[in-house]
This record gives sequence, C-alpha cells and structure tokens, in this order.
Amino acid sequence: MENNGWNEFEIGAMLRSFDGAVSDVATTLQEDRPYSRSNSFTASVADWRIEKPVFNKDYCIDCQFCWIYCPDISIISRDKKMVGVDYDHCKGCAICVEVCPTNPKSLLMFAEQEDEDKVLAEWPTKEKKEK
Amino acid sequence: MAEKQELRDVEVWDGNMAASQAMRQVQIDVVAAYPITPSTPIVENYGNFLANGYVDGEFVMVESEHGAMSGCIGASAAGGRVATATSSQGFALMVETLYQASGMRLPIVLNVVNRALAAPLNVNGDHSDMYLGRDSGWIQFDAYNPQDAYDLNFIAFRVAEDHEIRLPAMVHQDGFLTSHTAQGVHTIDDDTAYNFVGDFKPMNDMLDLDHPVTHGVQTEEDWHYEHKARQHNDLMTKVFPRIEAAFDAFEKLTGRRYNIVEQYNTEDADAVVVCMGTSVETAVEVSNELCAEGKKVGVIGIRVVRPWPHAQLVEALKGVTAIGALDRSSPNGTFGMLYNELAGTVVNGEEKKVVTNYVYGLGGRDLTKVHLREIFAELLANAEAGKPTTPLQQLIGVRGPKISFH
Amino acid sequence: MSEIKKIKNLKEFSTSADRFEGANLLCPGCAHSIIVREVLNATNDDLILAASTGCLEVCTAVYPYTSWDASWIHIGFENGSTAVAGAEAMYKALKNKGRLKQPDREPKFVAFGGDGASYDIGFQWISGCFERGHNMMYVVLDNEVYANTGGQRSSSTPIGASTTTAPAGRVSYGEKMHKKNMMQIMAAHGSPYVAQVAPNKWKDMIKKIQHGFSVEGPVFINAMSACTTEWKFLPEDTIAVSDLATDSLVFPLYEIIDGTKLNITYRPKNVIPVKDYLGAQGRFKHLFKPENKHVLDEWQARVDRDWEYLQRREEASV
Repeated sequence: MENNGWNEFEIGAMLRSFDGAVSDVATTLQEDRPYSRSNSFTASVADWRIEKPVFNKDYCIDCQFCWIYCPDISIISRDKKMVGVDYDHCKGCAICVEVCPTNPKSLLMFAEQEDEDKVLAEWPTKEKKEK
Repeated sequence: MAEKQELRDVEVWDGNMAASQAMRQVQIDVVAAYPITPSTPIVENYGNFLANGYVDGEFVMVESEHGAMSGCIGASAAGGRVATATSSQGFALMVETLYQASGMRLPIVLNVVNRALAAPLNVNGDHSDMYLGRDSGWIQFDAYNPQDAYDLNFIAFRVAEDHEIRLPAMVHQDGFLTSHTAQGVHTIDDDTAYNFVGDFKPMNDMLDLDHPVTHGVQTEEDWHYEHKARQHNDLMTKVFPRIEAAFDAFEKLTGRRYNIVEQYNTEDADAVVVCMGTSVETAVEVSNELCAEGKKVGVIGIRVVRPWPHAQLVEALKGVTAIGALDRSSPNGTFGMLYNELAGTVVNGEEKKVVTNYVYGLGGRDLTKVHLREIFAELLANAEAGKPTTPLQQLIGVRGPKISFH
Repeated sequence: MSEIKKIKNLKEFSTSADRFEGANLLCPGCAHSIIVREVLNATNDDLILAASTGCLEVCTAVYPYTSWDASWIHIGFENGSTAVAGAEAMYKALKNKGRLKQPDREPKFVAFGGDGASYDIGFQWISGCFERGHNMMYVVLDNEVYANTGGQRSSSTPIGASTTTAPAGRVSYGEKMHKKNMMQIMAAHGSPYVAQVAPNKWKDMIKKIQHGFSVEGPVFINAMSACTTEWKFLPEDTIAVSDLATDSLVFPLYEIIDGTKLNITYRPKNVIPVKDYLGAQGRFKHLFKPENKHVLDEWQARVDRDWEYLQRREEASV
C-alpha cells in the first residue's frame, strides 16, 4: 500500500479484511475471497527465506501433517489433497519437511535459487531405516 | 424494551443523579463501570434503573477502572452506545485506555466527577483528574452545576457519535460541590431526550459479521504520525462546528443556551477571571456585585476544555487588559494549565494583556467570595498599571506564609 | 447453539478455509500461528477476536496489514480478555434490543494472550471476566517467557530456564521460581471448562476447543507454544520439541470440567525422561553442567509428582 498522507485513510487506523461483504468466510476458500489491499494475504514474506520447501507429489500420501503444522498457511490443500506450497507466504521454517512421514520425504528443503524441475529430477530415493 | 420514567418538569437532583438520568434516557447499550467516590452514585443509580426495568442495555460491573474503560472500548468497537463514569484515582488508572479509545476513534462518553489525586489521599473536588486527561484526545465538556451535567451529557453523545467526529467525550463536574449538591434541574421527557441524541449509528462495527474489521493496530514511525495528525486535525477543525450546532439545537429544544466559552459581564470589562466548574458561579456572583459597584470585572467560564477554544477566547478577551487564570489543580513545578493555555492564546494578539495565575481550592478547599474580591482587586490594579502588580503565580486559600512565584 | 464442525480426521480437517493469513510477521517456525489456526479452524461459526499485546498481536496487525479474516481488536497488554468481554456484552445488548445486523448468526468470542499478558499483567482482567461469566474463550499462547520483548522471565517461566532478566551465570542456574499453576487458578474460578493443549496433539486440541465452544460461560485454554527464538531450538523442530514436552509429561494434557472434574486426555505410550526435553533447548543447556545436576533431578521429581497428582485427581473424580 502506498504511503498515504494524514488525510487519506480511514479514521482510527482501522483495517478491513475484505473489500465488500463476505457472508460465510469460514467456508469460502482463499481463491474465492475478495481480499482487501490491507489483508496480509496480499503481501509476501518470500524474501525471508534462504531455503524453500519443494513438494514432490510422487511420494505424497496426503496425510496433511504438513498442512496442519504449517505456521504460515503455506501448504495448499484442496479436496483433502496436498496441492503445493504457497511461496508468497512460506518463511522457510521447514516444519513441513520435518513432519513429512514418507520415505523418501515428499517435501525437502533446497536453496532458494535452486531450479525446481532439477531438484525433482534428482529427488533422493528411499532410505533404508537405520538400526 | 426499557420502561419509561415520568419526570417532573423540575426535579431535585444532584449532579450524579442528573448524569445518570441522562445516561438512562439515551438508552446506552453497554455500561462497564467501577465505582469510586464521588462518582459512585452514577454507577449505583444506573444499577438501580436496571434493576427496575428502566434500562435494557448491558451493565458490566468490572473489577477496576482500567477494566471499565477496556470493556467500554471492546463494546464500542463492537458497535453500540457506550458510557461510564469515574473520578480521580480511577481516572488515573484509566489513563492508558483513554488514549486507546480516542486513537481508535470510539465515541464513548465518560462522566468524570472531578476529584483530587493522591498523595496525600483526598476524596474532594479539584481538577487534577481533568487536567490529567487533557492530552488524551478526548473532547472535554465542563459542567458548573447539576443542570449542566444533565444537559451536557446529551450534547456529548450527539457530538461524539457523529460520524464526522467519532471521538470520545468527557463530561466533567465538580466532586461533591456539584455531584452531591441537589438543585432544581429542568428535565427533558424520555422520548425528546432520546431523539435529541438519536439512534446509535454503527461505524466499522466488529459485530457486522459480513465486514470483518481490525481495530487497535500497530503503527510505527512510517504510519503513527499520520494517524495522530489526523486525530489532532479532526479535534482542531471538526469538533467545534458540531458542538455549536448541538448547542443551537439544544437551545431550540429547551431554551437553555450553552456556549463553548461562557461570558459574564465581559462586554467592557477591564479585568476577568477565567475558571471552570462551580467556581464560575461564585465568580459570577462576585462579578455582579462588583459591577453594581461600578467596577468593570467579568468572568469567563471554559465550557469546552478540549479542544481548547483558542479563537473563541481571542474574541471573548478583546478589550480585556487583565486576566486571572484560576487553576484548581496543583501545577507541580510550572504555571497552571489555564494560565499557560491563556497566555498562549493571547500572546500573539495586538492588545497587550496582563495574565496572572491563581492556584486555589486543592482537595476541595473552598473558594470564597472574599478570595474572588481580592483577586478582582489585584486584576484591576494590573489593568490600571498595564503590567503585573503581583507575583505571576499565587497560591490562595492555603495556610502558612504567603506562597507565590515569579 | 450452532452445529459443531465435523472433523473426523486430518484429511477432513484440511478442507478448512483458514481465517488467519500468512505474511504475518511471526518468526519462522512459531507455534503461535499453529495454535491459532487449530483454534480458528475448529469451528465454522463467526468469530469476534481479541489479542493482548504480545508476539501474536504485534505480528498480525501491523499497519497497513491485518492477518485476520474475522473482526479483531487489540487494546493493551493487560486487557485482551476484557476487550472481547466488552464486545460480548454489546452482542448481548444488541441481540436483546433486536439491533444485530445478522441476527441469525451467533459468533464465538475468543481472546488470545501470551503468558506475560495472562499469568502476569493481565491476570486481574482475566479473573474479572471469568468471575462475571462472559461467554468467551481465553487462549493463552504459553511460551513461558516475554518473547515479544526479547526473552524476559514471566511467572510462567519454569525453574532453571535462562532468560534475560533471570539469566544463568557463574553463580546462578537461571530462573529460581516454579511456573505458576494457571490451570488450577482458573479452575478455581468455577469455569465450566479449563484445558491444557498442545498444537502437536491436534486432535486432542480440536476436541477441547470444540468442547469449549459448546459450553456457556468463560472457557480457559492454556496452549503450550514452543518458542524457537527464546527456547533456542531450530525452527523446523517446533513440533519435535512439542512432542518432547507432551511425552515427557512436562506439559500434561488434561481438562477440568466445572472447576472440579479432572480428566487426563493424553497418556504417552512411552514416557520419556524430562532431561530429553530440557536437553533439546538452549535455554536449559547450563543445567547439564555437573553443578546443576540437582536442578535436573528436581525437575524430574516434580514432573513425576505433578503427574501423580493429576492421576489421583482424575481417579477421585472430584
């Protein structure tokens, strides 16, 4: 949002979540919401990341551990399926990778500048359990 | 639906009852309150109205004054009419939240029954609490008697809730001298009183579930100044026209006239005292007597303390040479607030004025007619001399050696 | 009473539409937002929210952005509880007067506060709200430290933790006081429902939040919020550290109904030693010096004793 002058915003430093009415937000998916410019959904924290999680759907079992434990609403799940990572809002904490139960993991951290196709092509294979 | 009360045209009410009756008549949605002397009866009266079906809003008896204003802020942001009452230490405990209420532009009405601030502890009236709130971004009205306390409540709700204003407002009255002194109060019937203020019109209300709003955000160096500037601008430019309009409408309705700056015998006065609260009536009585003796002395009562009525005072003080600023609060290391504000008001004018400061009445000490006669005599001497003939600041009515400064 | 949202399993839960947004300013790996998401997603009802000053508040409403898709208010450090109680009072008033804009919808009122805002500075306000019986839920995001201001002790800080105001040093092992028992204090208010939750045990948490939403009156939830910054562990380990906390019984998961009836809601299959939990965090690392062994021993003994007490309370059913 541009830096408005003192006479150019609503009084009381009040912020609106949406432009216009949303009558059932709890069942309206993000893509269907009329987010206002002051909703942080419209902002990005991508530059916080040094590493990014990359999702490999070949190994995913849609357990949704990554979805529930993601602190940044950055695991996109639709119709009970893991769809991908929201790179505007992911801060790169790697919790999703830690909680992923598949072998090999369906989510792994890579340097921010790594090419996604390249890392998917070189995805590690199944690890033997230790012990 | 709350039951109505049949009021006599003139009721014998003290200031507390006058304020609580006004609060009943405007049908507040939420009162969150904590009792403290001398405003306790406002809260008690309101509880009594509730217990007898005269009020159908929520009455939340919280655990502290800070909680009272916190609850009022939450309720007001939710979207409805909100008011409470307090005094002194309770007011002091509320101070943090006063700034939050005004910064969030929530039109809460607070009846402040003025009382001294400890230490030492004191339950009687002076203006220390009123002065403590003067930078908090609220509109501050000052009542001189129970009638004013009643009437100014209606004005306060009407102005505060105006969507162009959306600022909280205090109605001040003097502890005990007004709050506990029963006088004849001309009443307004319930429907007329309610209609004068009108239905509450919500704005940015949290309870509008289709339009979620975020209140009480953080703004740092990149935004904070703009928001404070906006609030200051609205106080400086928008409030007085609305107060004037409300005073006009109120006069039309009741015949009772209020002014942002009340003037008594000021037309060709050489000297005036400027004061607030019950002292105004005492000063006017003395001024009348002195005028009858041929002395040109008048009284200016501040009706609206915030925003400060700079332009109105410049006008009212035209032709006046000597000004006595009467402050009922310990300045603790400087001049009194009224002195400083008045000096700032007149310093750039073309007429040379002599402004002196009298501190009086702390902790409920009486201001007598004898005091005022002495003050007027000194002010007339200043006017005659065209310069101060006394120390700039004097503490009057205090035991011990004469105490004055500068 | 509105319908309770059906959440049979995690797949079904994952169809929830979050009402808390990303690009907030919480640290990477912060448990606060995991907790907030679980609380908000536990219901489809409308929400009126409040937060006391603290990490959650300063990171989710920094002008010109809000991360909230429900009405939300912050006043000060101590009064998130009373802010939402005031809104709840207004809801009752407007309902009674027939002035609600959406009269057929019944919002839930929820306040969030850190342990600083809840155990310490805002304690009186919470107590007042609970005594008055507002229909609201108060959720403590308990990270046992004033994290927002850089790691000062609170009355929730456990013994032996090193904080900036009670640091470990040559002659001190850090915090000397035991963590305040807010669960018992709030139960003593006669609250219809008091529960301790942890975000790693999401199913237990959702069940408790939904129960909390289903009862009338003030509900108290103490949510363990593992703090990567002040507990000093890597951001990716938030859930792992939370598991250590619940499985070592340092954070036992239980509920107290109507101020008296206590139920333990999670019994670890393998209880792990307390030192495994402490050892995973930098704030306790000095406890592993030989001269501080007595603190470690004391820790384990106290956790055992507290667990024993909870089991007895549950058994006695009083």
